[in-house]
Amino acid sequence: MKGLVSLFIGVFGTFAFSWVGLTVIPNLQIGALNPQMDEEGTDIYPAPKSGMAERGRRIYAANGCIYCHSQQVRPDYASSDIDRKWGERRSAPRDYIFDRPVVLGQERMGPDLANIGKRAPAEEEKPAAAPAANSPAASPVAAQSPPANAAPAKPGATSSPPGSPAAPPQPPPAAAASPSPSASPNPNGVPPVYSAAWHHRHLYAPRSVNPDNGDSTMPAYKFLYQKHQINGERSADALALSGREAPPPGWEIVPTYEAKCLVAYLMSLDQSHPLKEVKSAAGAAPPAASPPAPPAGSPPPASPKK
Amino acid sequence: MTPTADIPLKEPAVSAAAGDAEQLERARIDASTRVPVLMFYASAMAWLLIGTLLAGFVSFKLHSPDWLSDFSFLTWGRLRPVHMNVMIYGWGSMVAMGTAIWLMARLCRTTLRHPLLIVTGIWFWNIGVLIGVIGILMGYSTGYAWLEFPPYAAVVLFVAYVLIMSWAVLMFRFRRGDQIYITQWYLLGAFLWFPWLYAAAQAMLFVVPVQGVMQAAVGWWYANNLLFLWFGAIGLGTAYYMIPKVIGRPVYSYHLATIGFWTYALFSSWTGMQRLVDGPFPAWMITASIAATILTIIPVATVGLNHHMTMQGYFPVMRYSPTLRFTVFGAMSYTVFSVVGILISLRSTARYLHFTEASIAYSHIGLYAFFTMIMFGSMYYIVPRLVGREWRYATLIKLHFWASAYGVGLMSLMLLIGGLAQGVTQNDPSMSFIQSVASVLPYLRGRTVAALLLTISHFIFAFHFGLMLFGLGRTSTVPTFLNPIEAEGAEPHL
Repeated sequence: MKGLVSLFIGVFGTFAFSWVGLTVIPNLQIGALNPQMDEEGTDIYPAPKSGMAERGRRIYAANGCIYCHSQQVRPDYASSDIDRKWGERRSAPRDYIFDRPVVLGQERMGPDLANIGKRAPAEEEKPAAAPAANSPAASPVAAQSPPANAAPAKPGATSSPPGSPAAPPQPPPAAAASPSPSASPNPNGVPPVYSAAWHHRHLYAPRSVNPDNGDSTMPAYKFLYQKHQINGERSADALALSGREAPPPGWEIVPTYEAKCLVAYLMSLDQSHPLKEVKSAAGAAPPAASPPAPPAGSPPPASPKK
Repeated sequence: MTPTADIPLKEPAVSAAAGDAEQLERARIDASTRVPVLMFYASAMAWLLIGTLLAGFVSFKLHSPDWLSDFSFLTWGRLRPVHMNVMIYGWGSMVAMGTAIWLMARLCRTTLRHPLLIVTGIWFWNIGVLIGVIGILMGYSTGYAWLEFPPYAAVVLFVAYVLIMSWAVLMFRFRRGDQIYITQWYLLGAFLWFPWLYAAAQAMLFVVPVQGVMQAAVGWWYANNLLFLWFGAIGLGTAYYMIPKVIGRPVYSYHLATIGFWTYALFSSWTGMQRLVDGPFPAWMITASIAATILTIIPVATVGLNHHMTMQGYFPVMRYSPTLRFTVFGAMSYTVFSVVGILISLRSTARYLHFTEASIAYSHIGLYAFFTMIMFGSMYYIVPRLVGREWRYATLIKLHFWASAYGVGLMSLMLLIGGLAQGVTQNDPSMSFIQSVASVLPYLRGRTVAALLLTISHFIFAFHFGLMLFGLGRTSTVPTFLNPIEAEGAEPHL
């Protein structure tokens, strides 16, 4: 009988120890954080998301985006996340205080999305209409962001030794197609990378946005889009599709409300605001990031490499 | 006089009359558990088949994403959590509860009271899992790993659990004999840990939700503890029963077992945060979990040594006994599981393995190679005692074993190596991200082959189990051996 009592006590004790240690105490430490603001009480970060973006988060969770995409930037000493331009600083608990469910992610079959909204072209009023005109304006932001990691190495993926991304002797034609989708008038009419229109097209037909994306294992989310017969004029938000994915003439593909929420959510993801508790990489990043750049010193598109 | 002397580990070779009384009592106990345990097993088998098919879909769709992607309920991101939850709550938990209740009745030497309440609980549990599955498919997943079921399904599961387990725990009240055998420690622990764990996680995520990243911490704390303190504990407890029982020899050392149990409870419950390595958390949390993961080498070493020493000289019995073969495979996988867990948790290796398929390998080694294989073994032992028939075809058992063993081995290798390839590429900023995807794709295709093997294995087992259930087993007093026993010594308790 004594054995049973001590067994009970031990069973409860060990578990209580773990419960208190791993959930209760951390919750005291980081479970009640407030947004950060400057002295004047302005410049508050983070802020709650809009209703549409919040709904988009539910859709993000419900459709399992979380199993392939993380939303956390690890520090530069432990990973290459910052080198990959997934963020300028590591993520901190305060970045997530309004997130529910929090979708930090567990695996990366797809790239990190912690700053995907930040990496959108700066202005994107009519993205599909005038990609070429649009992106130069966006260059300060766009240049340092998305295509950065993708562009220089891609030719390597398609053709040559994956080990040497430098491999500058790429044939110019290939380089011209891929270097910086945001800036290039893509033959397929792909909108600037990470613009809302791009996200829609990417969700609808993931492997159509970039010819080098053939290895992407992202499923298409066609069920978030509707096929309409065009009567009168094309809807403003119809997807600009071409080739295999294009609807038959007289038809158009338009996002459902859910798709719009999901894209609104993606566009809202932005951890670029500095936090006091995190050593801002703004100063640290350029020195850290510049060494790798020269080797990749391929033509102008190399600039994204920073 | 070892402390195990009066533990019914071994069918005692006493006088015929006393032996008959023992036999009779044991038959009575088995009879009282027949309906609920068989219901547990039948439900678990049904979920296992569903989960296996889903696993094949999920595995195939990951490298061929355009296959069946046009319907919302067939999208990869919904099928994957359904597969996981079906395996965890449908297959794993139900087979674990079935085996645990049977073991508990045997070890407490008391009949199972109120089996009808347990049967009701089983129905509720099945309904809960079904509601959860439909919820996820319809797009109501919560987004927390291993807890994707919508909260209303969780409520049903919890009620069902209380109905089931209160009676299992109450068996302690009516137990005969003062000794508490090692298996009972693990089972009692699991019975009490699970509801606390489940309720705490549900409460902290849905009832009074914690803020921000703490949700992820609670989620991983839950997932890892579920793996160790629920599935792992029942798996180890079962192994502690089956191995000595089948070879007819007491456990090598009670002291080792004590050390193994308490260090297991203490250290493995502190793991989990290593899955968040370098994430937005205070570093101490992650370091504590990494340290705890490393310390799990102590229970692994003691439990492994104990089982090994018990088996010493009896390894050839694995040639004949299906139960022993599956159980020893599972017990050995426990060591592999923990070693892999340590290897992928260290900061130096996590740099390459975090966020890769390697963590999927880890979960499968734990849930399949370790836990599920032991459960298969226990079913090979228990089912004949409930239906009064013996397994019909030794060949099917052998096929089941080898398909499962090769299947899970291949899957683990593919995911570990693929994860490493993926992680090394991801860690090198000069390689584009898509190259890391390309680097793991061949291994994902290999994993689909493994999934096919496991599908074959499970359908074979389900067929065999179905035969038993419908009374089509062999009528015989001799258990089914994997290979014909050669002249020298038949093992009576296979």
